[in-house]
Amino acid sequence: MSKVLSFLRIVGRIARVRPRFVVGYVIVLVAILAGLLAPAIAPYSPIEADPTQFLEPPSWKHLFGTDAVGMDIFSRTIYAPRIDLTIAVVGTLLSAVAGSFIGALVGYYSTGRGVRVWASYAVMRAADVLQAFPVFVFAIALVASLGQSIQTVVLAIAFVNAPIYLRLMRAQVMSIREMRYVEASLVAGLSDLRTIMRHIVPNAMGPVLAQLSINVGWAILLTAGLSFIGAGVRAPTPEWGSMIAMGFQNVVTGQWWPSVFPGLALAITVFGFSLVGLSIEVVADPVKRRALVRDLARVSLCAAPGAASLSAKSTP
Amino acid sequence: MADRVKGAFDRLDRRQFLKTAVAAGTAAAAPEVLGVTKALAQGQANTLVIAAPATPQGLDIEFDVSLGSIDSLGALYEYMLAYEKIPDPQDPNVQREDTGVHPDKKYGLALRGRLATDWEISNDGRKATFKLRDGVRSNWGNLFSAEDVKWTWDRKFNLKGQGIFQTSVLGLKSPDQVKVEGPMAISFNLEKPSPILLKQQCNLANPIYDSKKIKQVGSTDDPWGVKFLQNESAGFGPYRLQQLTRGQQAVFQARDDYWDEKPFMKTVIMREVPTSASRLSLLQGGAVDIAQFLQPREYQSLKGNPTVVFDAVNASYMIWLELNAKIKPLDNVRVRQAMNLALPQEEIIRTIYYGLADPQKAPMPYIYPMANLDYYRYGYNLEAAKKLLAEAGLPNGFSTTLSYNAGDPTQEPIALLYQTALRQIGVEIQLDKLPAGVFYENVTKRQKPIIFYLDSPWTPDPGYSMFLYFHSKSYVDYSNYENPKVNQMIESGLETLDDAVRKKTYDEVQQMVMDEAPWGFIAYPKYTLARKANLKGFTYYTSNNLRFQDFKRA
Repeated sequence: MSKVLSFLRIVGRIARVRPRFVVGYVIVLVAILAGLLAPAIAPYSPIEADPTQFLEPPSWKHLFGTDAVGMDIFSRTIYAPRIDLTIAVVGTLLSAVAGSFIGALVGYYSTGRGVRVWASYAVMRAADVLQAFPVFVFAIALVASLGQSIQTVVLAIAFVNAPIYLRLMRAQVMSIREMRYVEASLVAGLSDLRTIMRHIVPNAMGPVLAQLSINVGWAILLTAGLSFIGAGVRAPTPEWGSMIAMGFQNVVTGQWWPSVFPGLALAITVFGFSLVGLSIEVVADPVKRRALVRDLARVSLCAAPGAASLSAKSTP
Repeated sequence: MADRVKGAFDRLDRRQFLKTAVAAGTAAAAPEVLGVTKALAQGQANTLVIAAPATPQGLDIEFDVSLGSIDSLGALYEYMLAYEKIPDPQDPNVQREDTGVHPDKKYGLALRGRLATDWEISNDGRKATFKLRDGVRSNWGNLFSAEDVKWTWDRKFNLKGQGIFQTSVLGLKSPDQVKVEGPMAISFNLEKPSPILLKQQCNLANPIYDSKKIKQVGSTDDPWGVKFLQNESAGFGPYRLQQLTRGQQAVFQARDDYWDEKPFMKTVIMREVPTSASRLSLLQGGAVDIAQFLQPREYQSLKGNPTVVFDAVNASYMIWLELNAKIKPLDNVRVRQAMNLALPQEEIIRTIYYGLADPQKAPMPYIYPMANLDYYRYGYNLEAAKKLLAEAGLPNGFSTTLSYNAGDPTQEPIALLYQTALRQIGVEIQLDKLPAGVFYENVTKRQKPIIFYLDSPWTPDPGYSMFLYFHSKSYVDYSNYENPKVNQMIESGLETLDDAVRKKTYDEVQQMVMDEAPWGFIAYPKYTLARKANLKGFTYYTSNNLRFQDFKRA
C-alpha cells in the first residue's frame, strides 16, 4: 500500500512539473481501455448496418450519431483502438526488434576491414534507399503488392519504420563499442554476439524506447491514412481512418459527425503517444532527466513545511 | 524597391499576415477554380462551364466510353438519325428522347433525320437505304458524303473495338454489307431482318467520321486514325475541340459553319473536379453552370436554393451484382435466388439513393419498350432466402467475396447493407474494395464471385439490351450466364420486325432470366443533373450523356 502511495506521490509531483506527461499517459490508457472494454460498453454492434437509423445526429440514443448506413459512430469509435493500436503496436515492435538487431550488428562491424564491413555498408545504403521513398507512398506500394489485409498493413509499418531503429541503434552501438567494459567482455572471452546482446544493446536501448512511443503514434496515423485511401483494413472493420473516409463527403451536406468523432479520437490518441514518447525521452536522456529530477526536488522542497522561506533564501 | 517591400512587411501585423497568407494559399491551391470564376465573371453568358468528375480520357468511341468522353461525343459528332424530343412526363423542364413504339409513325419509331434526310426499309426488312444530307461540312471543312458513312462502318470491322458489337447486333458479317448507293445514298444489306437497324443509327456509339480528314492524317501504320482520334475529332457535330488537357480541362468551341441551328453556348469548358463535394461547392458558389454526378445526399442539400436546381429523370442506368454463374455455390440457381431475396432494395433506395432511384425489377432498363416488371419475384424476404439455401444444400450459409468499386461512393454503403442482411441468413461476405483503375478489368475478367456493375444499354430496345447482358456470346455477359434457350430467343427477337411477336419473345426471355437470377437486382438510378436555375434545355438521352448544344441561358 505504501509503495502504491509512494508511486502516486511521484506521479503527482511529475504532474506538477510536467503535466503534459500525465495527460499523455491518461490518453493512451483511455484508448487502451476503450479498446479492451469496447464489447462491454459499446451500445451497438460496430459492424451491423441499420438502414432505419442512417445519418442520425448525435443524441442520447447514438452519442456520436450514426453513419450513412446506420452504424453507430460511438460504438465504432471505441472499437477502433482494437485494430488501430494492435496494428500500430505490433508493426512498431516488429520494426524496433528487426531494426535494432540489424542496427546493432551494423554498428558493431562498421569499422575495421573485411566482408562484415562491406556488409554493414551495404545494409546502410539499402536503408538509405528505403528511406528515400516517401513513407506513405512506400506503404501503399507494399499493400498494393502484398494484398489488402491487416497483416499487410502491419508488415508495411514494420518495413517503413525499421530503418529508423537501424540508424538509432547503429549510432548508439558505435559509441558504446569503444567503452572499456565492452573491451573487458571481449577479453574475458565472450563472443561478439554475446557482447552485443548482453553489454551493448541494453545500454543502447534508451533512444530506441523513446522512439518507440512516438512511432506508435505515427503508425496509427499511417494505418488511418492507408485505410482512408482504401488500402488499409477492409470495411466494415471499425478503424478510425476508414470511418473518416466513409464520412468525410457528408461534411459538405452538414453531417459532420461520421468523420469528426473518429478524427478527434485519432488526433487525441496520436497526441497522447507523442507525449508518452516525450516522457520516455526525458527519462532516457541524462541531461533532461537531471532537469526533471531538479524540478521534482524543487517541488518537494516547496511542498515541505517552511519551504517558502527556504526557497526565498536560496533565491539570489 | 527593397525598402518599400521591407516597409510593407514591417507594417504587417500577425493577423494581417495570416489573412494575406490564407489568400495567397487559396489562390495558389485553386488556380483552376479562380480561372473558372474569372471566365464566367467576364459576362460570358454564352459560355457553359461544367464541373465534371473527369476530362475525356480519349475521344474515340471505339476504345473509350468514359464519362467525359461520351459527353464530348455528342457535341463533336453528328449521327444519321435522332429520336424526336418530348417533355419528360415527370419533369416538364426536361426534354427526353421519344423512344416508344409508335405504330402510326414511319416504321413505328419517332425519328428525325440528321445526316440522313430520308430512309426506306425493304419489305423483307433486310435492306435499309438512307438518303444523305447535302452541304454538311465537318469541323475540318470537308463535305459529307456516303463515303464517310461507309468508311465509318468499315472502321468498326477493322478495329474490332466496341464497334464489332454494333455490327454483330445488327447481323452484319462483312464490310461489303454496307454499300454506297451513290454520292449521297447508302444502304445496309442484312442476311436477316433487323428491328434495330434504324435505332442503331441514333446510338451514341455510331458517330459518322470525316473520312477525308482521317485518311489525310492517318499513316500507313494507322489507316483508321486511332492515334489522331485519341486527341482530336473529325466529325460533323456542332462543336470543335479547342483544347484537351487531360486531368484539367477540355474546351469546345461552337462551329459557325454547322449545318443545323447554331448552339447558344459558343464555348463549353469542361473542368475536371474529381470530388463531388468540390463540384457541389463550385455550383453553389456560382463558379460553374453544371455539377455532374453528385452524391444522392448532395442533391438534397440543393433543395430550397433559388439559384441552383437539380433535375432527376428516369434513366437507362441499372446497378446490379454480377452473380458469377461459374463459381460455386453461385452456380446453383437457388443460391442466386436466395441472394436476391436477401437484397434490401427498398432500404438501399431510401438510405443510399435518397429516393433518386427505383427498384430494379426487370433485367433491362424499365424505361425501354417491352420492359416487363411483372416477373420480378423476389423482394426482401430472409425466411424465403434461408429456405432456398437449405434446398440448395447450404442450410448454414456459406462464405464468399463481394467486390466493389472504390471510385463509386454508393457501392460501399450498398455492400455494407447487403452484408448485414446476408449475415442473418448465414452468408458471410468479405468486402473487397477495388481501386477504380482496376475495377473494370476485374469485371471483364469474370473471376470474382460477386461484383457490382453499373451500366446502361444505349439502344432503347429489348433485343439489344438482352443480347448485351445475357447472350453467352456477348462480351458484356459478365455474370457468365449461359442458357441456350435464352440465346436462341434473344437472337430470334433480333430478327423479327413484328413488335407483338417481339414482345411475346422478350417477355419470355425476361421471365427466364429473372427466374434464373444471374444478377442481384438492385436499382435503376435516375439521371440527375445539378445546374444553375437559369440554365435551360436539359435533354435526357438513353446514352446518359449531355449534349452541349441543348443548353440555353434564360
